[in-house]
Amino acid sequence: MPVDHKRINGPDETYPYSLYAKTNKQSLNEKHEDIKRTGQRSDSRTFLEHRKIFIKTGVVSQAKGSAYIELENTKVIVSVFDPREIPNRPDYSLKGEIYCEFKYAPFSCNKRRLHIQDTEEKQYSAIMKQALESTVCSHEFPNFQVDIYAMVLHNDGSCLSAAITAAGLALAHAGVPMYDIITSVSLGIQQDNLFIDPTNEEQSICLYPRTLDTDHGNVIISKLHMHNQISQFYQSGNISLEKINEAIGILDKTCEELVPVIQKYLVKHVIRNLKDREAK
Amino acid sequence: MALCEAEKTFVLHGVEENFRVDGREREDYRPMELETDIVSHAFGSARLRLANTDILVAVKIEVDVPFPESPHQGKIEFFVDCSANATPDFEGRGGEDLAVTISSTLSSAYSSSLAFDLRKLCILHGRKCWKLYVDILILECGGNLFDAVSLAVKAALWNTQVPFVKNINIDGNNVEINVADDLYACERLDVKKAPVMVTVCKIGDKCIVDPNAAEEQCSVGSVVVAVSGNKFSTVYQTGKGSLHPSTLIESLKLGFEVAKRLDEALWETLSQIQPDQDVGFLK
Repeated sequence: MPVDHKRINGPDETYPYSLYAKTNKQSLNEKHEDIKRTGQRSDSRTFLEHRKIFIKTGVVSQAKGSAYIELENTKVIVSVFDPREIPNRPDYSLKGEIYCEFKYAPFSCNKRRLHIQDTEEKQYSAIMKQALESTVCSHEFPNFQVDIYAMVLHNDGSCLSAAITAAGLALAHAGVPMYDIITSVSLGIQQDNLFIDPTNEEQSICLYPRTLDTDHGNVIISKLHMHNQISQFYQSGNISLEKINEAIGILDKTCEELVPVIQKYLVKHVIRNLKDREAK
Repeated sequence: MALCEAEKTFVLHGVEENFRVDGREREDYRPMELETDIVSHAFGSARLRLANTDILVAVKIEVDVPFPESPHQGKIEFFVDCSANATPDFEGRGGEDLAVTISSTLSSAYSSSLAFDLRKLCILHGRKCWKLYVDILILECGGNLFDAVSLAVKAALWNTQVPFVKNINIDGNNVEINVADDLYACERLDVKKAPVMVTVCKIGDKCIVDPNAAEEQCSVGSVVVAVSGNKFSTVYQTGKGSLHPSTLIESLKLGFEVAKRLDEALWETLSQIQPDQDVGFLK
Protein backbone atom coordinates (compact mmCIF):
# COMPACT_ATOMS: atom_id res chain seq x y z
CA MET A 1 0.00 0.00 0.00
CA PRO A 2 1.46 3.38 -1.01
CA VAL A 3 2.05 5.83 1.85
CA ASP A 4 2.15 9.60 1.63
CA HIS A 5 5.56 10.46 3.09
CA LYS A 6 4.91 14.18 3.28
CA ARG A 7 2.39 13.65 6.05
CA ILE A 8 3.09 12.32 9.47
CA ASN A 9 1.39 8.97 9.43
CA GLY A 10 0.58 6.99 12.53
CA PRO A 11 2.06 3.57 13.09
CA ASP A 12 1.34 1.12 10.28
CA GLU A 13 -0.99 -1.11 12.22
CA THR A 14 -3.31 0.58 14.68
CA TYR A 15 -6.84 -0.30 15.64
CA PRO A 16 -9.48 1.60 17.57
CA TYR A 17 -9.39 0.53 21.20
CA SER A 18 -13.17 0.12 21.23
CA LEU A 19 -12.70 -3.19 19.40
CA TYR A 20 -11.12 -4.64 22.53
CA ALA A 21 -13.35 -2.94 25.11
CA LYS A 22 -15.84 -5.32 26.68
CA THR A 23 -17.83 -2.83 28.74
CA ASN A 24 -21.29 -1.78 27.69
CA LYS A 25 -21.13 -3.70 24.46
CA GLN A 26 -24.19 -5.35 23.17
CA SER A 27 -23.52 -7.65 20.28
CA LEU A 28 -25.15 -6.80 16.98
CA ASN A 29 -27.35 -9.86 17.25
CA GLU A 30 -28.71 -8.71 20.60
CA LYS A 31 -29.33 -5.26 19.19
CA HIS A 32 -31.26 -6.71 16.28
CA GLU A 33 -33.22 -8.90 18.70
CA ASP A 34 -34.16 -5.78 20.68
CA ILE A 35 -35.29 -3.95 17.58
CA LYS A 36 -37.33 -6.93 16.47
CA ARG A 37 -39.00 -7.25 19.86
CA THR A 38 -39.91 -3.59 20.31
CA GLY A 39 -40.63 -2.93 16.63
CA GLN A 40 -38.79 0.34 16.99
CA ARG A 41 -35.34 1.44 15.89
CA SER A 42 -32.78 2.83 18.31
CA ASP A 43 -33.58 6.41 17.32
CA SER A 44 -37.34 5.67 17.71
CA ARG A 45 -38.06 5.83 13.99
CA THR A 46 -40.38 3.36 12.30
CA PHE A 47 -38.74 0.94 9.85
CA LEU A 48 -39.79 2.83 6.73
CA GLU A 49 -39.12 6.30 8.04
CA HIS A 50 -36.33 8.43 6.58
CA ARG A 51 -34.28 10.62 8.88
CA LYS A 52 -34.90 14.35 8.84
CA ILE A 53 -32.88 16.15 6.21
CA PHE A 54 -31.08 19.45 6.39
CA ILE A 55 -29.63 20.83 3.17
CA LYS A 56 -27.87 24.03 2.27
CA THR A 57 -26.11 25.22 -0.85
CA GLY A 58 -23.27 27.66 -1.35
CA VAL A 59 -21.21 26.46 1.60
CA VAL A 60 -17.91 26.44 -0.30
CA SER A 61 -17.19 29.90 -1.67
CA GLN A 62 -14.36 28.79 -3.98
CA ALA A 63 -16.45 26.15 -5.73
CA LYS A 64 -18.85 26.83 -8.58
CA GLY A 65 -21.57 25.00 -6.71
CA SER A 66 -21.68 23.25 -3.39
CA ALA A 67 -24.12 21.59 -1.05
CA TYR A 68 -24.10 20.39 2.52
CA ILE A 69 -26.43 17.66 3.70
CA GLU A 70 -27.21 16.37 7.16
CA LEU A 71 -29.19 13.25 7.93
CA GLU A 72 -29.03 13.79 11.69
CA ASN A 73 -25.52 12.52 12.36
CA THR A 74 -24.47 11.80 8.79
CA LYS A 75 -22.84 14.92 7.42
CA VAL A 76 -21.59 15.24 3.87
CA ILE A 77 -20.25 18.21 1.95
CA VAL A 78 -20.15 18.20 -1.86
CA SER A 79 -18.53 20.73 -4.16
CA VAL A 80 -18.71 21.05 -7.94
CA PHE A 81 -16.01 22.88 -9.85
CA ASP A 82 -15.96 24.74 -13.16
CA PRO A 83 -15.79 22.63 -16.30
CA ARG A 84 -12.28 22.15 -17.60
CA GLU A 85 -10.91 20.36 -20.62
CA ILE A 86 -10.82 16.60 -20.18
CA PRO A 87 -7.22 15.88 -19.14
CA ASN A 88 -5.04 13.39 -21.07
CA ARG A 89 -7.44 13.02 -23.96
CA PRO A 90 -5.97 13.49 -27.42
CA ASP A 91 -9.21 13.37 -29.43
CA TYR A 92 -12.21 15.69 -29.24
CA SER A 93 -15.15 14.21 -27.38
CA LEU A 94 -18.66 15.24 -28.44
CA LYS A 95 -19.95 14.66 -24.95
CA GLY A 96 -18.83 16.12 -21.68
CA GLU A 97 -17.76 13.97 -18.78
CA ILE A 98 -18.09 14.07 -15.06
CA TYR A 99 -15.50 13.05 -12.53
CA CYS A 100 -16.54 12.01 -9.04
CA GLU A 101 -14.45 11.58 -5.96
CA PHE A 102 -15.97 10.21 -2.79
CA LYS A 103 -13.86 10.54 0.34
CA TYR A 104 -14.29 9.88 4.02
CA ALA A 105 -12.64 12.49 6.23
CA PRO A 106 -9.93 10.82 8.36
CA PHE A 107 -11.97 11.42 11.52
CA SER A 108 -15.39 10.55 10.10
CA CYS A 109 -15.57 6.87 11.03
CA ASN A 110 -14.80 4.74 14.06
CA LYS A 111 -11.54 3.72 12.52
CA ARG A 112 -9.25 6.43 11.20
CA ARG A 113 -9.31 6.72 7.43
CA LEU A 114 -6.18 7.28 5.40
CA HIS A 115 -5.71 10.22 3.07
CA ILE A 116 -5.44 7.97 0.08
CA GLN A 117 -8.66 6.65 -1.43
CA ASP A 118 -9.18 3.02 -0.42
CA THR A 119 -11.08 0.48 -2.49
CA GLU A 120 -14.41 1.21 -0.80
CA GLU A 121 -14.10 4.89 -1.59
CA LYS A 122 -13.08 4.14 -5.16
CA GLN A 123 -16.12 1.91 -5.55
CA TYR A 124 -18.40 4.58 -4.09
CA SER A 125 -16.89 7.14 -6.48
CA ALA A 126 -17.77 4.85 -9.38
CA ILE A 127 -21.33 4.40 -8.08
CA MET A 128 -21.69 8.15 -7.68
CA LYS A 129 -20.50 8.69 -11.23
CA GLN A 130 -22.97 6.10 -12.49
CA ALA A 131 -25.80 7.88 -10.66
CA LEU A 132 -24.96 11.37 -11.86
CA GLU A 133 -23.90 10.54 -15.42
CA SER A 134 -27.46 10.16 -16.66
CA THR A 135 -28.62 13.27 -14.77
CA VAL A 136 -26.42 15.90 -16.42
CA CYS A 137 -26.89 16.94 -20.06
CA SER A 138 -23.41 15.96 -21.13
CA HIS A 139 -23.92 17.16 -24.72
CA GLU A 140 -24.15 20.73 -23.40
CA PHE A 141 -20.47 20.87 -22.46
CA PRO A 142 -18.58 18.89 -25.13
CA ASN A 143 -14.96 18.00 -24.44
CA PHE A 144 -15.24 19.34 -20.90
CA GLN A 145 -15.18 17.65 -17.56
CA VAL A 146 -17.05 18.68 -14.43
CA ASP A 147 -15.38 17.67 -11.18
CA ILE A 148 -17.52 16.65 -8.22
CA TYR A 149 -15.94 16.05 -4.83
CA ALA A 150 -17.88 14.56 -1.92
CA MET A 151 -16.40 14.59 1.55
CA VAL A 152 -18.02 12.74 4.43
CA LEU A 153 -17.50 14.69 7.65
CA HIS A 154 -19.38 12.32 9.90
CA ASN A 155 -20.40 8.81 9.01
CA ASP A 156 -23.58 7.55 10.58
CA GLY A 157 -24.75 5.31 7.76
CA SER A 158 -26.24 6.02 4.30
CA CYS A 159 -23.31 8.30 3.37
CA LEU A 160 -23.32 7.38 -0.28
CA SER A 161 -27.00 8.13 -0.83
CA ALA A 162 -26.64 11.41 1.07
CA ALA A 163 -23.66 12.31 -1.12
CA ILE A 164 -25.57 11.56 -4.34
CA THR A 165 -28.60 13.62 -3.28
CA ALA A 166 -26.32 16.50 -2.27
CA ALA A 167 -24.28 16.21 -5.47
CA GLY A 168 -27.50 16.59 -7.51
CA LEU A 169 -28.26 19.78 -5.62
CA ALA A 170 -24.68 21.05 -5.92
CA LEU A 171 -24.77 20.48 -9.69
CA ALA A 172 -27.98 22.50 -9.90
CA HIS A 173 -26.38 25.20 -7.77
CA ALA A 174 -23.38 25.28 -10.08
CA GLY A 175 -25.68 25.83 -13.04
CA VAL A 176 -24.70 22.60 -14.79
CA PRO A 177 -27.51 21.70 -17.21
CA MET A 178 -29.48 18.76 -15.84
CA TYR A 179 -32.38 16.64 -16.97
CA ASP A 180 -33.96 16.12 -13.61
CA ILE A 181 -33.77 16.23 -9.83
CA ILE A 182 -31.93 13.24 -8.44
CA THR A 183 -32.64 11.70 -5.05
CA SER A 184 -31.01 8.68 -3.51
CA VAL A 185 -31.98 6.45 -0.59
CA SER A 186 -30.33 3.45 1.11
CA LEU A 187 -32.02 0.46 2.65
CA GLY A 188 -30.73 -2.23 4.97
CA ILE A 189 -32.21 -5.72 5.09
CA GLN A 190 -31.86 -8.23 7.91
CA GLN A 191 -34.28 -11.18 7.89
CA ASP A 192 -37.77 -9.66 7.58
CA ASN A 193 -36.79 -6.22 8.81
CA LEU A 194 -36.22 -3.48 6.27
CA PHE A 195 -34.42 -0.39 7.50
CA ILE A 196 -34.91 2.68 5.36
CA ASP A 197 -31.99 5.10 5.63
CA PRO A 198 -29.99 2.88 8.01
CA THR A 199 -27.64 4.32 10.60
CA ASN A 200 -24.11 3.01 10.88
CA GLU A 201 -25.15 0.50 13.52
CA GLU A 202 -28.07 -0.76 11.45
CA GLN A 203 -25.80 -1.09 8.44
CA SER A 204 -23.49 -3.34 10.43
CA ILE A 205 -26.48 -5.36 11.63
CA CYS A 206 -27.33 -5.96 7.97
CA LEU A 207 -23.76 -6.83 7.02
CA TYR A 208 -23.69 -10.40 8.34
CA PRO A 209 -26.29 -13.13 8.03
CA ARG A 210 -27.80 -14.17 11.35
CA THR A 211 -28.72 -17.68 10.31
CA LEU A 212 -28.15 -19.77 7.24
CA ASP A 213 -30.39 -18.89 4.33
CA THR A 214 -31.73 -15.56 5.55
CA ASP A 215 -31.82 -12.33 3.64
CA HIS A 216 -29.33 -9.67 4.61
CA GLY A 217 -27.66 -6.80 2.84
CA ASN A 218 -27.74 -3.20 1.79
CA VAL A 219 -29.40 -1.59 -1.23
CA ILE A 220 -28.85 1.88 -2.66
CA ILE A 221 -31.02 3.40 -5.32
CA SER A 222 -30.88 6.75 -7.13
CA LYS A 223 -33.87 8.04 -9.00
CA LEU A 224 -34.69 10.72 -11.53
CA HIS A 225 -38.01 12.03 -10.35
CA MET A 226 -39.82 13.42 -13.42
CA HIS A 227 -38.64 10.76 -15.85
CA ASN A 228 -39.29 7.98 -13.35
CA GLN A 229 -35.95 6.40 -14.15
CA ILE A 230 -33.48 4.60 -11.92
CA SER A 231 -30.05 6.00 -12.70
CA GLN A 232 -28.16 3.83 -10.26
CA PHE A 233 -28.84 0.62 -8.37
CA TYR A 234 -26.44 -1.20 -6.13
CA GLN A 235 -27.04 -4.11 -3.82
CA SER A 236 -24.73 -6.20 -1.68
CA GLY A 237 -25.29 -9.05 0.75
CA ASN A 238 -27.54 -11.99 0.05
CA ILE A 239 -31.11 -11.19 -0.89
CA SER A 240 -33.87 -13.14 -2.64
CA LEU A 241 -35.61 -11.88 -5.76
CA GLU A 242 -38.92 -11.24 -3.97
CA LYS A 243 -37.22 -9.18 -1.29
CA ILE A 244 -35.40 -7.10 -3.90
CA ASN A 245 -38.65 -6.40 -5.69
CA GLU A 246 -40.18 -5.31 -2.41
CA ALA A 247 -37.14 -3.16 -1.63
CA ILE A 248 -37.24 -1.47 -5.04
CA GLY A 249 -40.89 -0.56 -4.48
CA ILE A 250 -40.22 0.91 -1.05
CA LEU A 251 -37.08 2.77 -2.11
CA ASP A 252 -38.90 4.15 -5.14
CA LYS A 253 -41.56 5.64 -2.87
CA THR A 254 -39.07 7.05 -0.38
CA CYS A 255 -37.08 8.70 -3.18
CA GLU A 256 -40.29 10.46 -4.21
CA GLU A 257 -40.78 11.68 -0.66
CA LEU A 258 -37.43 13.44 -0.72
CA VAL A 259 -38.15 15.35 -3.92
CA PRO A 260 -40.30 18.14 -2.33
CA VAL A 261 -37.47 18.94 0.11
CA ILE A 262 -35.02 19.45 -2.76
CA GLN A 263 -37.59 21.31 -4.87
CA LYS A 264 -38.43 23.63 -2.03
CA TYR A 265 -34.80 24.41 -1.50
CA LEU A 266 -34.18 25.07 -5.19
CA VAL A 267 -37.15 27.45 -5.38
CA LYS A 268 -35.85 29.28 -2.33
CA HIS A 269 -32.46 29.51 -3.95
CA VAL A 270 -33.89 30.98 -7.17
CA ILE A 271 -35.97 33.55 -5.29
CA ARG A 272 -32.96 34.62 -3.27
CA ASN A 273 -30.86 35.01 -6.41
CA LEU A 274 -33.54 37.11 -8.10
CA LYS A 275 -33.78 39.35 -5.05
CA ASP A 276 -30.02 39.76 -5.01
CA ARG A 277 -30.07 40.79 -8.64
CA GLU A 278 -32.83 43.33 -8.02
CA ALA A 279 -30.90 44.79 -5.15
CA LYS A 280 -27.94 45.35 -7.46
CA MET B 1 -14.24 -0.50 -32.32
CA ALA B 2 -16.58 2.19 -33.56
CA LEU B 3 -19.98 1.54 -35.07
CA CYS B 4 -21.89 3.81 -37.42
CA GLU B 5 -25.59 4.53 -36.97
CA ALA B 6 -26.63 2.01 -39.64
CA GLU B 7 -24.69 -0.78 -37.94
CA LYS B 8 -26.24 0.12 -34.61
CA THR B 9 -29.72 0.00 -36.12
CA PHE B 10 -28.92 -3.39 -37.62
CA VAL B 11 -27.90 -4.76 -34.23
CA LEU B 12 -30.96 -3.22 -32.59
CA HIS B 13 -33.37 -4.74 -35.13
CA GLY B 14 -31.70 -8.10 -34.71
CA VAL B 15 -32.28 -7.98 -30.96
CA GLU B 16 -35.88 -6.95 -31.58
CA GLU B 17 -36.41 -10.02 -33.80
CA ASN B 18 -34.71 -12.34 -31.29
CA PHE B 19 -32.06 -13.14 -33.90
CA ARG B 20 -28.79 -11.45 -33.07
CA VAL B 21 -25.90 -10.64 -35.42
CA ASP B 22 -24.15 -13.92 -34.68
CA GLY B 23 -27.35 -15.96 -34.91
CA ARG B 24 -27.98 -16.32 -31.20
CA GLU B 25 -31.25 -15.74 -29.38
CA ARG B 26 -31.51 -13.12 -26.67
CA GLU B 27 -30.78 -15.48 -23.80
CA ASP B 28 -28.01 -17.48 -25.45
CA TYR B 29 -24.38 -17.53 -24.50
CA ARG B 30 -21.45 -17.85 -26.85
CA PRO B 31 -19.43 -21.05 -26.65
CA MET B 32 -17.02 -21.26 -23.74
CA GLU B 33 -13.81 -23.10 -23.12
CA LEU B 34 -12.58 -23.80 -19.62
CA GLU B 35 -9.46 -25.43 -18.29
CA THR B 36 -8.15 -25.58 -14.77
CA ASP B 37 -4.82 -26.11 -13.06
CA ILE B 38 -2.65 -24.57 -15.73
CA VAL B 39 -0.34 -22.37 -13.65
CA SER B 40 2.04 -24.58 -11.72
CA HIS B 41 3.23 -21.85 -9.34
CA ALA B 42 -0.31 -21.09 -8.19
CA PHE B 43 -2.41 -23.01 -5.68
CA GLY B 44 -5.29 -22.99 -8.10
CA SER B 45 -5.86 -21.57 -11.54
CA ALA B 46 -8.29 -21.50 -14.41
CA ARG B 47 -8.45 -20.14 -17.89
CA LEU B 48 -11.74 -19.28 -19.51
CA ARG B 49 -12.32 -18.35 -23.09
CA LEU B 50 -15.71 -16.93 -24.01
CA ALA B 51 -15.62 -16.34 -27.76
CA ASN B 52 -12.97 -13.61 -27.97
CA THR B 53 -12.70 -12.89 -24.28
CA ASP B 54 -9.81 -14.64 -22.62
CA ILE B 55 -9.36 -14.64 -18.85
CA LEU B 56 -6.63 -16.23 -16.78
CA VAL B 57 -7.12 -16.49 -13.03
CA ALA B 58 -4.54 -17.71 -10.53
CA VAL B 59 -4.95 -18.06 -6.78
CA LYS B 60 -2.05 -17.63 -4.40
CA ILE B 61 -2.29 -18.39 -0.70
CA GLU B 62 -0.33 -16.74 2.08
CA VAL B 63 -0.44 -16.77 5.86
CA ASP B 64 -1.71 -13.56 7.40
CA VAL B 65 -3.14 -12.13 10.61
CA PRO B 66 -6.96 -11.81 10.66
CA PHE B 67 -8.57 -8.38 11.01
CA PRO B 68 -9.29 -7.64 14.67
CA GLU B 69 -12.93 -6.84 13.83
CA SER B 70 -13.37 -10.34 12.39
CA PRO B 71 -10.84 -12.55 14.22
CA HIS B 72 -12.50 -15.78 13.10
CA GLN B 73 -12.27 -15.11 9.35
CA GLY B 74 -9.65 -15.47 6.67
CA LYS B 75 -9.16 -12.97 3.90
CA ILE B 76 -9.74 -12.87 0.20
CA GLU B 77 -8.63 -10.16 -2.20
CA PHE B 78 -9.20 -9.69 -5.90
CA PHE B 79 -6.80 -8.00 -8.27
CA VAL B 80 -7.76 -7.36 -11.87
CA ASP B 81 -5.13 -6.54 -14.43
CA CYS B 82 -6.43 -5.01 -17.64
CA SER B 83 -3.21 -5.15 -19.61
CA ALA B 84 -2.78 -3.35 -22.90
CA ASN B 85 -2.47 -6.80 -24.45
CA ALA B 86 -6.25 -7.08 -24.41
CA THR B 87 -7.12 -3.87 -26.19
CA PRO B 88 -5.14 -0.69 -26.89
CA ASP B 89 -7.72 1.23 -24.83
CA PHE B 90 -6.17 -0.22 -21.70
CA GLU B 91 -2.80 1.32 -22.43
CA GLY B 92 -1.23 3.28 -19.58
CA ARG B 93 -3.85 3.83 -16.90
CA GLY B 94 -6.74 3.39 -19.32
CA GLY B 95 -7.95 0.11 -17.88
CA GLU B 96 -7.67 1.15 -14.26
CA ASP B 97 -11.27 2.27 -13.76
CA LEU B 98 -12.61 -0.93 -15.27
CA ALA B 99 -10.21 -2.99 -13.18
CA VAL B 100 -11.35 -1.29 -9.97
CA THR B 101 -15.00 -1.76 -10.92
CA ILE B 102 -14.57 -5.46 -11.63
CA SER B 103 -12.53 -6.18 -8.51
CA SER B 104 -14.83 -4.24 -6.20
CA THR B 105 -17.90 -5.91 -7.68
CA LEU B 106 -16.24 -9.27 -7.14
CA SER B 107 -15.31 -8.56 -3.54
CA SER B 108 -18.80 -7.25 -2.89
CA ALA B 109 -20.26 -10.44 -4.39
CA TYR B 110 -18.00 -12.63 -2.25
CA SER B 111 -18.49 -10.55 0.91
CA SER B 112 -21.51 -12.35 2.35
CA SER B 113 -20.60 -15.43 4.37
CA LEU B 114 -23.55 -17.20 2.74
CA ALA B 115 -21.86 -16.83 -0.64
CA PHE B 116 -18.33 -17.68 0.40
CA ASP B 117 -17.45 -18.69 3.95
CA LEU B 118 -14.21 -17.07 5.06
CA ARG B 119 -14.39 -18.76 8.46
CA LYS B 120 -12.93 -21.94 6.96
CA LEU B 121 -9.75 -20.01 6.14
CA CYS B 122 -9.05 -19.21 9.78
CA ILE B 123 -6.13 -21.20 11.21
CA LEU B 124 -5.95 -19.86 14.76
CA HIS B 125 -8.58 -17.51 16.12
CA GLY B 126 -7.34 -13.90 16.00
CA ARG B 127 -3.74 -14.93 15.28
CA LYS B 128 -3.34 -16.68 11.95
CA CYS B 129 -5.42 -17.13 8.85
CA TRP B 130 -5.03 -17.89 5.17
CA LYS B 131 -5.23 -15.05 2.74
CA LEU B 132 -6.31 -15.79 -0.82
CA TYR B 133 -4.91 -13.55 -3.51
CA VAL B 134 -7.04 -13.95 -6.59
CA ASP B 135 -5.21 -12.46 -9.56
CA ILE B 136 -7.25 -11.98 -12.68
CA LEU B 137 -5.49 -11.33 -15.94
CA ILE B 138 -7.48 -10.18 -18.94
CA LEU B 139 -5.65 -11.56 -21.96
CA GLU B 140 -8.12 -10.67 -24.63
CA CYS B 141 -11.18 -8.50 -24.54
CA GLY B 142 -14.21 -9.47 -26.60
CA GLY B 143 -17.01 -8.08 -24.48
CA ASN B 144 -18.85 -9.37 -21.43
CA LEU B 145 -15.93 -9.24 -19.02
CA PHE B 146 -17.94 -9.51 -15.80
CA ASP B 147 -19.49 -12.88 -16.66
CA ALA B 148 -16.27 -14.38 -17.93
CA VAL B 149 -14.27 -13.16 -14.94
CA SER B 150 -16.77 -14.48 -12.40
CA LEU B 151 -16.85 -17.93 -14.02
CA ALA B 152 -13.08 -18.10 -14.23
CA VAL B 153 -12.73 -17.02 -10.60
CA LYS B 154 -15.20 -19.64 -9.46
CA ALA B 155 -13.37 -22.33 -11.41
CA ALA B 156 -10.00 -21.21 -10.04
CA LEU B 157 -11.29 -21.25 -6.46
CA TRP B 158 -12.80 -24.69 -7.08
CA ASN B 159 -9.38 -25.82 -8.23
CA THR B 160 -7.56 -24.20 -5.30
CA GLN B 161 -5.86 -26.49 -2.83
CA VAL B 162 -5.38 -25.07 0.63
CA PRO B 163 -2.43 -26.68 2.42
CA PHE B 164 -3.46 -28.98 5.24
CA VAL B 165 -2.35 -27.74 8.66
CA LYS B 166 -1.09 -30.68 10.70
CA ASN B 167 -0.57 -28.95 14.00
CA ILE B 168 0.00 -25.56 15.59
CA ASN B 169 2.60 -24.82 18.27
CA ILE B 170 1.98 -21.80 20.42
CA ASP B 171 4.88 -20.47 22.42
CA GLY B 172 3.98 -17.14 23.99
CA ASN B 173 3.57 -14.74 21.09
CA ASN B 174 5.08 -17.10 18.56
CA VAL B 175 2.73 -19.24 16.56
CA GLU B 176 4.28 -22.00 14.56
CA ILE B 177 2.26 -23.68 11.87
CA ASN B 178 3.19 -27.11 10.65
CA VAL B 179 1.87 -28.00 7.25
CA ALA B 180 1.42 -31.64 6.31
CA ASP B 181 4.53 -33.16 4.70
CA ASP B 182 2.56 -34.84 1.99
CA LEU B 183 2.25 -32.37 -0.89
CA TYR B 184 -1.04 -33.84 -1.96
CA ALA B 185 -2.68 -33.54 1.45
CA CYS B 186 -4.78 -30.49 0.73
CA GLU B 187 -8.20 -29.19 1.45
CA ARG B 188 -10.53 -27.99 -1.27
CA LEU B 189 -12.58 -24.83 -0.83
CA ASP B 190 -16.35 -24.98 -0.73
CA VAL B 191 -17.42 -22.97 -3.75
CA LYS B 192 -20.84 -24.47 -4.34
CA LYS B 193 -22.47 -21.11 -3.60
CA ALA B 194 -19.76 -18.84 -4.99
CA PRO B 195 -21.49 -16.16 -7.05
CA VAL B 196 -21.84 -16.26 -10.82
CA MET B 197 -22.27 -12.92 -12.55
CA VAL B 198 -24.47 -12.23 -15.52
CA THR B 199 -24.56 -8.93 -17.39
CA VAL B 200 -28.04 -8.12 -18.61
CA CYS B 201 -27.77 -5.58 -21.36
CA LYS B 202 -30.64 -3.39 -22.51
CA ILE B 203 -30.78 -2.77 -26.24
CA GLY B 204 -33.82 -0.94 -27.53
CA ASP B 205 -36.74 -2.27 -25.52
CA LYS B 206 -35.34 -5.75 -25.00
CA CYS B 207 -32.74 -7.23 -22.67
CA ILE B 208 -30.02 -9.63 -23.79
CA VAL B 209 -27.29 -11.57 -22.05
CA ASP B 210 -23.67 -12.05 -23.07
CA PRO B 211 -23.30 -9.04 -25.38
CA ASN B 212 -20.36 -9.00 -27.76
CA ALA B 213 -18.28 -5.87 -28.23
CA ALA B 214 -20.60 -4.49 -30.93
CA GLU B 215 -23.72 -5.07 -28.87
CA GLU B 216 -22.12 -3.49 -25.82
CA GLN B 217 -21.78 -0.29 -27.82
CA CYS B 218 -25.47 -0.23 -28.72
CA SER B 219 -26.62 -0.62 -25.17
CA VAL B 220 -27.78 2.32 -23.10
CA GLY B 221 -27.49 0.62 -19.76
CA SER B 222 -26.86 -2.75 -18.26
CA VAL B 223 -27.20 -4.51 -14.93
CA VAL B 224 -24.59 -6.89 -13.56
CA VAL B 225 -26.27 -9.52 -11.43
CA ALA B 226 -24.25 -11.77 -9.13
CA VAL B 227 -26.26 -14.80 -8.08
CA SER B 228 -25.18 -17.16 -5.32
CA GLY B 229 -27.36 -20.22 -4.83
CA ASN B 230 -30.87 -18.83 -5.18
CA LYS B 231 -30.17 -15.36 -3.86
CA PHE B 232 -28.65 -12.19 -5.25
CA SER B 233 -25.30 -11.41 -3.72
CA THR B 234 -24.65 -8.22 -5.66
CA VAL B 235 -26.45 -6.14 -8.23
CA TYR B 236 -24.55 -3.34 -9.92
CA GLN B 237 -25.83 -1.06 -12.62
CA THR B 238 -23.38 0.04 -15.30
CA GLY B 239 -23.50 2.07 -18.47
CA LYS B 240 -24.34 5.69 -19.12
CA GLY B 241 -28.11 5.41 -19.20
CA SER B 242 -30.84 4.94 -16.65
CA LEU B 243 -33.56 2.30 -16.40
CA HIS B 244 -37.27 2.34 -15.65
CA PRO B 245 -38.09 0.52 -12.38
CA SER B 246 -40.07 -2.17 -14.22
CA THR B 247 -37.19 -2.74 -16.67
CA LEU B 248 -34.85 -3.11 -13.73
CA ILE B 249 -37.04 -5.74 -12.11
CA GLU B 250 -37.41 -7.53 -15.44
CA SER B 251 -33.67 -7.62 -16.02
CA LEU B 252 -33.11 -8.89 -12.49
CA LYS B 253 -35.48 -11.76 -13.22
CA LEU B 254 -33.81 -12.54 -16.52
CA GLY B 255 -30.35 -12.36 -14.98
CA PHE B 256 -31.40 -14.65 -12.14
CA GLU B 257 -32.73 -17.35 -14.48
CA VAL B 258 -29.71 -17.22 -16.76
CA ALA B 259 -27.25 -17.21 -13.86
CA LYS B 260 -28.80 -20.35 -12.42
CA ARG B 261 -28.52 -22.15 -15.75
CA LEU B 262 -24.96 -20.92 -16.18
CA ASP B 263 -24.02 -22.06 -12.69
CA GLU B 264 -25.40 -25.55 -13.38
CA ALA B 265 -23.47 -25.76 -16.64
CA LEU B 266 -20.26 -24.64 -14.95
CA TRP B 267 -20.71 -27.15 -12.17
CA GLU B 268 -21.27 -29.96 -14.64
CA THR B 269 -18.14 -28.97 -16.58
CA LEU B 270 -16.06 -28.82 -13.44
CA SER B 271 -17.20 -32.24 -12.34
CA GLN B 272 -16.06 -33.69 -15.69
CA ILE B 273 -12.54 -32.35 -15.36
CA GLN B 274 -10.07 -35.18 -14.82
CA PRO B 275 -6.81 -34.66 -12.93
CA ASP B 276 -4.37 -35.49 -15.73
CA GLN B 277 -5.79 -33.86 -18.80
CA ASP B 278 -3.75 -32.09 -21.43
CA VAL B 279 -3.70 -28.43 -20.67
CA GLY B 280 -2.19 -25.24 -22.03
CA PHE B 281 -2.84 -22.52 -24.50
CA LEU B 282 -1.97 -24.63 -27.53
CA LYS B 283 -3.59 -27.93 -26.68
